[in-house]
Amino acid sequence: MTMVPSRVLLGSSTVNASEIAHFSRLSAQWWDERGEFSFLHSMNPIRMQFIRQKFAETTLDESETKIDSTKTGVLMGLDVLDVGCGGGLLSESLARLGARVLGIDASESNIAIAKHHASLDSTLNSNLSYKHTSAEVLLNRPKRFDVVCSMEVLEHVDNPTAFLSTCAELIKPSGHLFLSTISRTPLAYLLTIFLAEKALRKVTEGTHTYSKYIKPSELIEYFREYRSLDNSRPWISRISGDLPTRTEAEVRGLVYNPLQSNWILAPRGAWGATDCNYLFWVRKPGPVQ
Amino acid sequence: MWRATGTRTSHCSSHLRVFTHHSRKRCRYSTSASKPDEYDVVIVGGGPAGLALASALGSKQALRETLRIALVEASDLSKVHDWSTSPNTFSNRVSSLTNVSQAFLRDIGAWNEVDRERTAPIEEMQVWDGISDARISFSASEIGLEHSEKGMARLTENLNLQRGLLRLLHKIQGVHIVDKSKVHSITSTGPGTWPLVHLDNNQTLKARLLVGADGLNSPVRTFAQISSFGWAYDTQGVVATMHHPPRSVFENPNTTAYQRFLPTGPIAFLPLSPTMSSLVWSTKTPIAAALKACEPSVLARMINAAFRLPEVSLQYLYNRILESQSLGKLITDSEMRDEIRWREQSHAVDPNSAYSSSAFDAPPTTPGIPPSDSQMIPPLVTSLQNGSVASFPLRFNHTEAYIGEGKGARTVLVGDAAHTIHPMAGQGLNLGLGDVECLARCIEDAVVSGGDVGSYTALLPYTQERYFANHKVMTACDKLHKLYSFTAEPIVWARSMGLEVVNEFDSVKAALMMTAGSNPRMHRSSTNINGGVSRTVFDVAAAGLQKVDAANSAVRAIRSGILGFAAGGLQAIAKAASDAREKDANKMD
Ligand SMILES: Cc1cc2nc3c(=O)[nH]c(=O)nc-3n(C[C@H](O)[C@H](O)[C@H](O)COP(=O)(O)OP(=O)(O)OC[C@H]3O[C@@H](n4cnc5c(N)ncnc54)[C@H](O)[C@@H]3O)c2cc1C
Ligand SMILES: C[S@@+](CC[C@H](N)C(=O)[O-])C[C@H]1O[C@@H](n2cnc3c(N)ncnc32)[C@H](O)[C@@H]1O
Repeated sequence: MTMVPSRVLLGSSTVNASEIAHFSRLSAQWWDERGEFSFLHSMNPIRMQFIRQKFAETTLDESETKIDSTKTGVLMGLDVLDVGCGGGLLSESLARLGARVLGIDASESNIAIAKHHASLDSTLNSNLSYKHTSAEVLLNRPKRFDVVCSMEVLEHVDNPTAFLSTCAELIKPSGHLFLSTISRTPLAYLLTIFLAEKALRKVTEGTHTYSKYIKPSELIEYFREYRSLDNSRPWISRISGDLPTRTEAEVRGLVYNPLQSNWILAPRGAWGATDCNYLFWVRKPGPVQ
Repeated sequence: MWRATGTRTSHCSSHLRVFTHHSRKRCRYSTSASKPDEYDVVIVGGGPAGLALASALGSKQALRETLRIALVEASDLSKVHDWSTSPNTFSNRVSSLTNVSQAFLRDIGAWNEVDRERTAPIEEMQVWDGISDARISFSASEIGLEHSEKGMARLTENLNLQRGLLRLLHKIQGVHIVDKSKVHSITSTGPGTWPLVHLDNNQTLKARLLVGADGLNSPVRTFAQISSFGWAYDTQGVVATMHHPPRSVFENPNTTAYQRFLPTGPIAFLPLSPTMSSLVWSTKTPIAAALKACEPSVLARMINAAFRLPEVSLQYLYNRILESQSLGKLITDSEMRDEIRWREQSHAVDPNSAYSSSAFDAPPTTPGIPPSDSQMIPPLVTSLQNGSVASFPLRFNHTEAYIGEGKGARTVLVGDAAHTIHPMAGQGLNLGLGDVECLARCIEDAVVSGGDVGSYTALLPYTQERYFANHKVMTACDKLHKLYSFTAEPIVWARSMGLEVVNEFDSVKAALMMTAGSNPRMHRSSTNINGGVSRTVFDVAAAGLQKVDAANSAVRAIRSGILGFAAGGLQAIAKAASDAREKDANKMD
């Protein structure tokens, strides 16, 4: 199953060849819910909860209409791009909630697995598609998305700032970016590398590289500086304390509970909760009036 | 879901066929004859658990609109749907529904469909030891139930509940019911694929999630290769519907449940109406068979005796029945009357006391002031409802897992398919309803977050919440059963001491409250992300039983000087008892 990432993608500046080879080797295991990727499976409901909540919240803020985040159609009709979709764990869930989802991954074998798995569920085929490509390649096409998600990818890319700007450029005005990644703290090293890979061997050694971890404050800083090509407003304009304004961006810690093997979405601003895994949401400013 | 073959049209025209005409779903699924019909949830089993799950899923709009749900049942459910009977007769299969179960049924809109006139509250419990007479009694208000006026539990005929659930399903039109269809086999075409459920009418259903609500011999469990551990108790539960005079104005109404722990198993009297109550008599298999073979009036006399006479006389009476049956003739009503009369005399039972059965043959003509001990025991049974006597084997059975994996992936078990329990705690159905409530919640959580309801990730919280909760109740009942099945002197002594000592402990009351199937402080854990850890009465109960153990250990410790008991758990008592018996035997030779 070892597949060398194909030529097209090697030209993409953020794709790290050895990372992609690593995930390709493991690709057969994507849908073993208790195997290599069990942490991602158990993380999925909570990532989806965060996405639903943010949609319910922004709808309420904007139109003062209360939408029930427990309704199943919250993403109905939205164009969603899942960058680094792997086996399609998140893509399938997004599609079930009504979004038109495109999942892309730099690994051809991951895309093959994702396609195969989706084909087993006849309810998915109409609004879910996968493509072996990179975000940089999509940037050359005109299509832009209401939502771009990239979960647990940032810590695996080369040149993360270029990766972030590519993702950002793929978003329509007023669109949403959802990321999840791991912070660069001693705790994160201990949990994700020392314990998960070396001591407990729950995750294949070499999956993570400490120096690639990114802190929430670095993401916030990035989006305070960042300007879209078509809009001079920063994505994050205000900070109070260390936290961005709730309507512009949000950081939420993900805490693993080994007793129930599930993840807990820590409350906003919970002390220390973002020291390891965390979710990040930021919104592209609307069109200039 | 009309089949092109047309051979089973009668099948499809039954009024129970309920469809959803949801456009989105229709275009999502094709129903050509060559392809199996795809469903998101296929429930096998239309018993109380299966019907409750179908209702719970169908009652939630978000689920009704997104999931295609089918329920398969071998028997003819229209018989249950159309079940009707006079107010003066009761089905012999009755369960005490706890307040928690009732709240769940109310939530999903099913409780309104249950004929409330046919249900009865349990407001008080009397539990006593058949040998030492040590007794615990408690009422709903005493144990601090939130709504004590509603009682601790409500006795409800299983059929009344099932009919209510079917009525609800008929109204909500969200579940496709396929009855009179037996699951013939279940197959899987490869890893990651959905199980195929083949019915004996050649229909095949493809299931994203396959739920086994299919009882003790669950075909779904067999398919999922989930093994179970358990044992038969060598005990049968004899059930019957009993007639008796109403309680007088000087007494509490007939809302007290009585349970006497005999060495052969507990006998329970569960009130259904002022003049009718339900019997659950767990006893050794041969005794159960003999009792069932008796004339109804003889059985009625035996029931009265079992709540009243000392153990030695009961043993004598069982032997009399067994003996005469082995000689090929049944003991007659007058023979039994004389036997019991003689037994009562030899125990010097006051003919005016409630412990006398003389009123059976000479009912008082004018209602007088009842004897002072009248509420210590149930009213005197005068006759049994025709055809209501039945029995069923008692088992302890718990599967090793509730969700299938590997080849058996996408399967989950609820109710008796996952666990069967001794009926003394009246918990069988309540545990099943607890499963159903939790599973429906997990399915909803998965659906709203875009999850795959058949996935391990979606089902894991169900196992985590239910497995140990059920296990605790089951082992508590099993322990209680075993604790009470010993007649050896030291154990009875410890046991009665235990009961009396532990009478002080509220938690033990809670443990025995389980017998009535009530559940004081358990609240439904809401859909919160932490899984809402709720300390249920069962935790309290289990803790309470440990205290029974502890009390017994204390008692043992005191007596160990004399009898040389080994310290340890219940096994130690048992072992000590058999050792003592051996010693006696050795002395004899
Ligand atoms: C004879 C008897 C008497 C009982 N009396 C009492 C009592 O008095 N009090 C009490 O508290 N508890 C009693 N119990 C226990 C109580 O009834 C159970 O706890 C309760 O019925 C469990 O419900 P369930 O829905 O899980 O399973 P069940 O009620 O066993 O339902 C399983 C259903 O699955 C169906 N099924 C099985 N295999 C297939 C197949 N291959 N294809 C299609 N359908 C299938 C069956 O037809 C059945 O309807 C009794 C049990 C029995 C067997
Ligand atoms: C840890 S997995 C996460 C998979 C998925 N997002 C999830 O959370 O379930 C990281 C994935 O990112 C992919 N990947 C890494 N770098 C990438 C890049 N620059 N562009 C696209 N995909 C990339 C890898 O092939 C791998 O499938």
